[in-house]
Amino acid sequence: MSNYKKTYITVSFIVVFMFFFSYMLVPLYDIFCEITGLNGKTNQERIVNLDEKPTNRFVTIKFTSTVAGAGPFDFEPLEREMVVEVGKVYTTSYILTNQSNSLKQVTASPSVVPGAEAEYFKKIECFCFTQQEINGLETKELPLQFIIDDKLSSDTKTLILSYTMFNTTDQLGVK
Amino acid sequence: MSTNVQDIHEDHHHAPSGLMRWITTTNHKDIGSLYLWFSLLMFFIGGFMALIIRAELFEPGLQLVIPGFFNQMTTMHALIMIFGAVMPAFVGLANWQIPIMIGAPDMALPRLNNWSFWILPFAFTMLLSTLFFDSGGPAAGWTLYPPLSLQGGNSMPFVILSIHLLGISSILGAINVIATILNMRAPGMTLMKMPIFIWTWLITAFLLIAAMPVLAGAITMLLTDRFFGTSFFTASGGGDPVMFQHIFWFFGHPEVYILILPAFGIVSTIIPAFSRKKLFGYDSMVYATASIALLSFIVWAHHMFTVGMPLAGEIFFMLTTMLIAVPTGVKVFNWVATMWRGSMTFETPMLFALAFIILFTIGGFSGLMLAMTPADFQYHDTYFVVAHFHYVLVPGAVFAIIAAVYYWLPKWTGKMYSESLGKLHFWLTTVFVNVTFFPMHFVGLAGMPRRIPDYPVQFADFNAIASVGAFGFGLSQLLFVYILYNTLKKDVTAEDKVWDGAEGLEWTLSSPPPYHSFEKAPRVE
Amino acid sequence: MKKIIYLLALILPTQILADWEVNMPRGVTPTSEIAYDIHMLMFWITVVIGILVFGVMVYSIIYHRKSVGYQPAKFHESTRVEIVWTVIPFLILVVCAIPATKALIMMEDTSDAGITLKVTGYQWMWEYEYLEDGVNFFSKIDNKSNNARRLNSGKDVNDVEHYLRNVDNEVVLPTDTKVRLLLTASDVIHAWWVPELGGKKDAIPGYVNEMWINIKEPGVYRGACAELCGKDHGFMPIVVRAVPKLEYDKWVSLRKDNRVAESQNIGR
Ligand code: HEM
Ligand SMILES: [Cu+2]
Ligand SMILES: [Cu+2]
Repeated sequence: MSNYKKTYITVSFIVVFMFFFSYMLVPLYDIFCEITGLNGKTNQERIVNLDEKPTNRFVTIKFTSTVAGAGPFDFEPLEREMVVEVGKVYTTSYILTNQSNSLKQVTASPSVVPGAEAEYFKKIECFCFTQQEINGLETKELPLQFIIDDKLSSDTKTLILSYTMFNTTDQLGVK
Repeated sequence: MSTNVQDIHEDHHHAPSGLMRWITTTNHKDIGSLYLWFSLLMFFIGGFMALIIRAELFEPGLQLVIPGFFNQMTTMHALIMIFGAVMPAFVGLANWQIPIMIGAPDMALPRLNNWSFWILPFAFTMLLSTLFFDSGGPAAGWTLYPPLSLQGGNSMPFVILSIHLLGISSILGAINVIATILNMRAPGMTLMKMPIFIWTWLITAFLLIAAMPVLAGAITMLLTDRFFGTSFFTASGGGDPVMFQHIFWFFGHPEVYILILPAFGIVSTIIPAFSRKKLFGYDSMVYATASIALLSFIVWAHHMFTVGMPLAGEIFFMLTTMLIAVPTGVKVFNWVATMWRGSMTFETPMLFALAFIILFTIGGFSGLMLAMTPADFQYHDTYFVVAHFHYVLVPGAVFAIIAAVYYWLPKWTGKMYSESLGKLHFWLTTVFVNVTFFPMHFVGLAGMPRRIPDYPVQFADFNAIASVGAFGFGLSQLLFVYILYNTLKKDVTAEDKVWDGAEGLEWTLSSPPPYHSFEKAPRVE
Repeated sequence: MKKIIYLLALILPTQILADWEVNMPRGVTPTSEIAYDIHMLMFWITVVIGILVFGVMVYSIIYHRKSVGYQPAKFHESTRVEIVWTVIPFLILVVCAIPATKALIMMEDTSDAGITLKVTGYQWMWEYEYLEDGVNFFSKIDNKSNNARRLNSGKDVNDVEHYLRNVDNEVVLPTDTKVRLLLTASDVIHAWWVPELGGKKDAIPGYVNEMWINIKEPGVYRGACAELCGKDHGFMPIVVRAVPKLEYDKWVSLRKDNRVAESQNIGR
C-alpha cells in the first residue's frame, strides 16, 4: 500500500470516527450525569424491589414547579414542604389544571438540587415517567411516590424537587 | 496523483483562460490566491456587519436597528469572520506556501483542492441569503445554543446546511494538507527539519479533521431536533440543552486553536527572518504546539462554567485551562529569545509580527484570568470576554495573516509593495485595534453583558471610544486594499530572495515562482 | 458636540477618568469579594509577567537592531532555559490554583440557607418565588426605560433615571442571611447576574441550578440577564433591594396580604 493511501485511510477514518463520536457523546453524557448528578437528573424509570429501611434521620423536601412556555396550565405542588424520614416511602402529588378548552398532552421534567445528591431521591411512582393527557378545563392530581436513599450524604438537610411542565401537544416525537 | 510532474513546459498550462481558468484550476497557487481573495472579501463583509454593530452601540438608546436584526448581525459577523475570513486565509496561505516550502510541485490532491475552495462561495451565498428571508437570518449567536436556536425562523436549515458545507470544505482542505506534508517533502527534509509554519499547519490540519466532524454532529442533532422529532436537547423529550454546549465546545475550543496555530507558525517564520537569527528553541516550539493541540481537547467546558457543573468538573476544567497557558507562554518566550541579540530591522511584516507578540500576549493574559472559575463567574458573557477573544483573534490571527501577506507577497507576485504605505497601514491598524478593543475590558468588568443592542448610560463613554476605533480600523483596511492594488500594477522587480535574513526553500525559487513549483525536488541537507 | 467631547476624552485622560468604571466591583457578598480578590491577584500577576516579557522585548528592539550595527548572535537553543520557562510559569499557576480551588468549594456550598428564592427566566422578564414565604411575582423592565428604548422613540435616554437598570417589581432580600437561589427558565436559557452580589448562573429550561448569596450591606443592586435569550435579551434588568431582616419580614407580610403598594415603600 502506498504511503498516500495509508494517509487517506487514516485521515478518513478519523473524520468518520469523530462524527460518530459526537453522537457517542450523548450516551456518555448521560452516564457522566448519572455519576456526577449534573443538572440534578433523577431516575427516569420506576424503581422496583426497593425495601424500606427507616433510619430515624430526617430531611426537608421542598417542592416547586414551573410551567414551560406559554402553556395554558396551572401547576402547583400539593404540599410545598415535607419533613421525611430517610429510607421510608412517602406519597404526595402535584395539581395540574388545564386552563384551555382543548385536550392537551403534557410531559413533566424533574430536577433535584443539590445535583450531587439527586440520585438518592428515588422515585417509585411518578407522573413524569410517561406523557400525560388532560382534558380542557380539567384539574388532575398527579401522584408521586418516593423514597430517600440512606446513602444520602449526612450533610444534606434539604433537598429541593422541581418539576417543569411542558406542553407537548403539537411537538414532534415526544415519547 | 494527478499532478503532472512531467509537464516541463512552464508556459504551457493546458488551462483555459479567463474565468474558466479560475473555476477549473487545480494549481496550488491559483487556489491559494482564490482563497486569499475570498477571505479578503469576507473580511470586508464581516467587517461591515461589525460596523453596523458598533454604530448602534456608539450611544445608548437604539438609533439604527431593531434588536432582532442586531442579533442577526452579531451572529453573522462571527460566523463570517471565523469560517469566511480567518480559516480560508490560512488555507490560502497553506496552499501557496506548503508546496514551495517543502519542495513539492503542487498539493497532493489538486482536484480535491479545487472542490474545497469552490464549495465556499456557495456556502456563504446561502448563509448570507438568509438575511433576506422574511424571518431573518440566524440570531442565536455563532454558538447556536438551543433552545434559542431552535426558535429561529426558516433560516435555520439553510444555516446548518451552509455550516456543513464549510465543514466539508475545511476537512477536504485539511486532508490535502496532511497528505501533502506527510508524503511530498523534498528528500532529506525529515519531520524535525520542516519549516515551523509547516509544522503548525500539520497540527492544525489534524485538529480540523478531529474537530469539524464534531461540529457537524452537533448541528445535525439540532436539525433533527427541530424537524425530525428527536430530542437531544429538549428537556420535554428527556434531552438536555447543556449537552449541546458540551458537544459544541468540544469542537469549539480546538477551533479557536485552529484559528491561532498557523498564526504561531507565521510569526515563528517572520521573527527569525528579520532578527537575522535562527528561531530559538525549534524543538520546543514543535512540542509546545503539539501539546497545545492535545490539551485543547480537554479544556472545552471553560466556556460554560456558569451552566452549573459539579464542583469536580469546575476544578478539572479550571486546572487544565490554566495548564494550556504554559506551552502558550513557552512560545512567547521563544520568540523573545529569538529577537534577543539578533540584528533586527523593522519592515512591515516584522512590525505586524512584533505587534502580534505583544497584543496576543495581552489576550493570553485575559485568557488566563478567564480560566479562573471563581472570577469567570463574573467575567463570563461580558465584554471582558469580547475583549479577550478579539485580542487573540484580531491583533492575533488577523495580524499574522496580514504579516504573512506582506512577507510573501513579493515572492508570490515578484512585485514589491510600498514599504512606507505598509508602515502607515501598520500604525493605523495597531492604534485603532487598541482603541477599539481595550476599552471593552473596562465595560466588561464594570458589568456590561455581551450581545446586547443597547446599554445603560454608565457604559456610554467607553462604548463611544470603541466605536470610533472600529470605524478607524475599518477605514484603515481600505488602505490595505489600495496597497495590494498598487503593488499588483507594478512591474516584476523583486529579487528571488526578497529578505536577506529569510530562510527556506521558497526563497530559492524565482519571484514569482514557476507554475509547477518544484519540478525537480531539491535536496535538503 | 458630544461626539467631539468623546474624541477629546480619547486624547486627554483627564478628570473624566476618575468617574469611569474600569474595574470589577468588589461587591457586598462573600462570593463577590472572593471573585474580586482572585481577579486582582491574576491581574497583578499578569502585569508583572507582562512588564518582564515586554521589557526584555523592548530592550532588544532598542539595542539589538541592525541600524545601530548590532551583529546577530548564533545561539538558538538551550534545553535548560526551556525547562526554566516551563517550570516557573507552572509553579506560578499552582500558586494561583490553590486559592481559586478553595474559593470554588466555598462558592458551591449552598447548604444551610436561610431562605430560598426561586428565579425563573422568561422571554423577557423574571419571576421570583419565595419558597418559604409563599410570595411570588413577575419583574420586568420599568415603563420609562421601556418606552425610551424603542427605535426612534424620540426620547433622550440620558434623561431616564436608571435607564435599562430599573424594574417594575424589585426583589427584596434580607441582609446577613444566606439566600439560596434556584434558577430555572420557562423557554430558553437566561442567566441571572447582579455584579455586586457575585457571579452569574444560567437559568435552563427543564433543569434547576442553584447558587447562594449573603448580602452584607443594605442597598439597591442592579444587574441584567447575561445569556443571549432572544431579541429583548438586553432589556431584562434585575434589581435587588437588600434590607435588614426586620424590614424584610414586614415586607413579606405586606406582600402576603397583597398590599403591594405599601410594600414598595420598604427600605426607601
Ligand atoms: C492562554 C490561552 C487561552 C486561555 C487560557 C483562554 C481562555 C478562555 C476562556 C476561559 C474563555 C471563556 C470565557 C467565558 O466565556 O467566560 C475563552 C473564550 C474565548 N477564547 Fe480564549 N483562551 C486562550 C487563548 C485563546 C486563543 C488563542 C483564541 C483564538 C485565537 C481564543 C479565542 C476565544 C474565543 C473566540 C472565546 C469566546 C467564545 C465565545 O463565547 O463566543 N482564546 N478563552
Ligand atoms: Cu476555549
Ligand atoms: Cu437574556
